[in-house]
Amino acid sequence: MNLFRSEEHIGRWLGSRDPGATISVRKLCDLAHAWWGNRLDPNWRPRTREQNQAILNGLGLTDAFWNLSPADPEP
Amino acid sequence: MDDDDIALRNLTYRQFVELGRAPTLHDIAAATGSTPDDVWSGWQRLHDDHALVLQSHTRELRMANPFSAVPTAYRVFADERWWYANCAWDAFGVCAALHADGRIEASCADCGEPIVVDVRDELPDDESLVFHCVVPAVRWWDDIVFT
Repeated sequence: MNLFRSEEHIGRWLGSRDPGATISVRKLCDLAHAWWGNRLDPNWRPRTREQNQAILNGLGLTDAFWNLSPADPEP
Repeated sequence: MDDDDIALRNLTYRQFVELGRAPTLHDIAAATGSTPDDVWSGWQRLHDDHALVLQSHTRELRMANPFSAVPTAYRVFADERWWYANCAWDAFGVCAALHADGRIEASCADCGEPIVVDVRDELPDDESLVFHCVVPAVRWWDDIVFT
């Protein structure tokens, strides 16, 4: 989970490896505040996977890469 | 995760911030009146529940996400001191967890050029940067240190 100067830098860094997901630093900052903002709350309790998924979905991170659940088995 | 383990987790995080470093087993044992072995057992359960991350070969913390217990390439100045974060996401997460503005110092993973981002009112001051995650979300905890 790294920062880069631009998408060109990501492409060079990946080389022949398969890419993962790229988001803007603004989106990353929004995600960080939604995800980590409660970590020091005195009454913190763990979130469910569904609650975590809702945070990702709420930021538009809805493609398969951001799916926290294992894919349903093929029928 | 039962209420006792949640209380242990919350105490561990609180001490991390109060001390400005990862608490030791003895720090937590002293604060709770329990034994280091009791604390270790609790930390192991919390590790298994992904509520914190332990070192693999010592009885110490590795991560109280977003905080790192060990030096990393992601340094954050927030709430009047420097912290280490586990990754770029966590670097912004340190500001989020502390509810503080901050400065993130890192480098481009490709070219190594220094990157400095100030976070003010939950917004980065340089929006030209991009973030890349290689590991799909479903596999983040397969090897959280690599992720």
